[in-house]
Amino acid sequence: MLEQAIFPLYITLKIATLSTILVVLVGLLISYLLARRDFTGKNLVDILVTLPLVLPPTVTGYLLVILLGKNGVLGQSLFEMTGFGILFTWQAAVIAAFVVSLPLMVKTTSAAIGSVDRELEYVAYTLGHSELETALFVTLPLAKKGIIAGLVLSFARAVGEFGATLMVAGNIPGKTNTMSLSIYTAFQSGNDSLANILVVILVIMSLVSMAATAKLVNRWKV
Amino acid sequence: MSGNIRVDIKKRYSGQEDAPDFNLDVNFTASNELVVLFGRSGSGKTTTLRCIAGLGKPDMGFIEVNGKVYFDSELKKNLSPQDRRPGYVFQNYALFPHMSVAKNITYGLKGKSDAAKEQRLHEMLGLMHITGLQNEYPSRLSGGQKQRVALARALAPNPDILLLDEPFSALDMVVRMRLRERIHSIQETLDIPVLFITHNPVEAFTLADKVVVLHEGSVHQEGRPEDVFYNPCNRHVAELVGVSNIFDADFAGKSEYGFVLNTDSISITTTTNVDADSSYSWGVRPENVHLHPAREDISGCNVFSTTVHSVVNRGASRVVAVDIPGGGSVLLSEMDNRNFGKLDIGPGSECLVEIDPRDVLVFALEEPAG
Repeated sequence: MLEQAIFPLYITLKIATLSTILVVLVGLLISYLLARRDFTGKNLVDILVTLPLVLPPTVTGYLLVILLGKNGVLGQSLFEMTGFGILFTWQAAVIAAFVVSLPLMVKTTSAAIGSVDRELEYVAYTLGHSELETALFVTLPLAKKGIIAGLVLSFARAVGEFGATLMVAGNIPGKTNTMSLSIYTAFQSGNDSLANILVVILVIMSLVSMAATAKLVNRWKV
Repeated sequence: MSGNIRVDIKKRYSGQEDAPDFNLDVNFTASNELVVLFGRSGSGKTTTLRCIAGLGKPDMGFIEVNGKVYFDSELKKNLSPQDRRPGYVFQNYALFPHMSVAKNITYGLKGKSDAAKEQRLHEMLGLMHITGLQNEYPSRLSGGQKQRVALARALAPNPDILLLDEPFSALDMVVRMRLRERIHSIQETLDIPVLFITHNPVEAFTLADKVVVLHEGSVHQEGRPEDVFYNPCNRHVAELVGVSNIFDADFAGKSEYGFVLNTDSISITTTTNVDADSSYSWGVRPENVHLHPAREDISGCNVFSTTVHSVVNRGASRVVAVDIPGGGSVLLSEMDNRNFGKLDIGPGSECLVEIDPRDVLVFALEEPAG
């Protein structure tokens, strides 16, 4: 029974970790730009990034299918260039998790960056530091609580992702059956003991990561 | 090194919903001295400082420091703050909260070796008398210590100019006095121009080699503090430097003591030349309005009897408001508590007012700025 839980645990951690790495990299860039720069289309970027937060995940998934399918804008060119059909692979699940958790990262982080005193950045400029150096060594370190909060929320959202993943990656045993999907399948097929094991693992994971984050953040004075 | 500043900038802010349009039009020069930009909040002081630092961009004009052109709208030249590297001390000091005092001070020494950084750090700690604080974090420092760390950080890279934005506003009186002396001696030692912003007339007067008075975005007067404080060139400057009695007047003629102006039913004589065809207002500092008991017999010009309207105890001094006969306005007189006690007056009592004609300042109405 336990071995049936191993693959879902493995694929879930893999998808959530990769998605969170992408979310942090892309999210920090978008958050900084939204908080500190004025550019045309800023509102549009904000709306596009936030949209998956308010759309039903199945709708987000459906839109991703349109985009990534072999006839879709992105999917078609990817298939023509590499011969790789991304739908119903774990990579598609990473994209789904990325899209639905990005707004959580951007909302939390851009608020944290926005609350960093701009005069600290100005001082760094007058002391000869470029905008990039200032962002890396002044702004982001001072926004780290918000960044960590965004990271934890994004990871949790990626682990719990269900609707969009089901649409773009299916629920293929040994391939894309993440924990959330497996719990649903196990429950549907009356396999209560597998469902219980998966639920217990997920609850423990969540509690541990919450406690670890709280402990880390509480150690920081600024 | 011979250095100087030339600033001649214009910047227009179109008013947003609640703020009116604001036009900055600032023009002044200075040598290696301590220049105080003096004006109310909203007069454009901080905007000017930011434009000099490169943190704001003027619409047009010219900024030059130490022979180096920072900004020239005609040549489309605009150096970044990183290329100007001014020493800038912000109002709230803006120390990096996540760095120790040592890291804060050496943050501007990019590209220097660790040994050079260490040496400069100790020079700065010594100069500011904060040796021993290098491992502390800003949250553990007092206001005065924060200010000294901010100054040390600004001065460590040997800037061409030092810009200080209301650096004393959060400090108590004793600390202010000491830092005031320190800033003066820093200016003399480093021999660079120091621009200092304040809205406090006492600070402007005691600190400045040169005062530049800003009002609503433009320079109204510049000069040595004594010139500005004793001879304000217009009503706005007069109000800023503490001439709280200012009244509109009509020209009435000439007398043996000088020129005579009428306000309500009193005549005021001034030694300043006035012209019959122009409109004027006159002003007098409250400390130059002298009160005498009603029974006293004084003759001369600018003496009239009146009634005390109210008395305000300012702790170290009293401010007595007396009615101006024939009008609704009051004249303020400030005196020390001892003299007030001798007068034996209170609201409603009679007294005599005396103003020396040499203390009467005269301002032409609608005088153009500058």
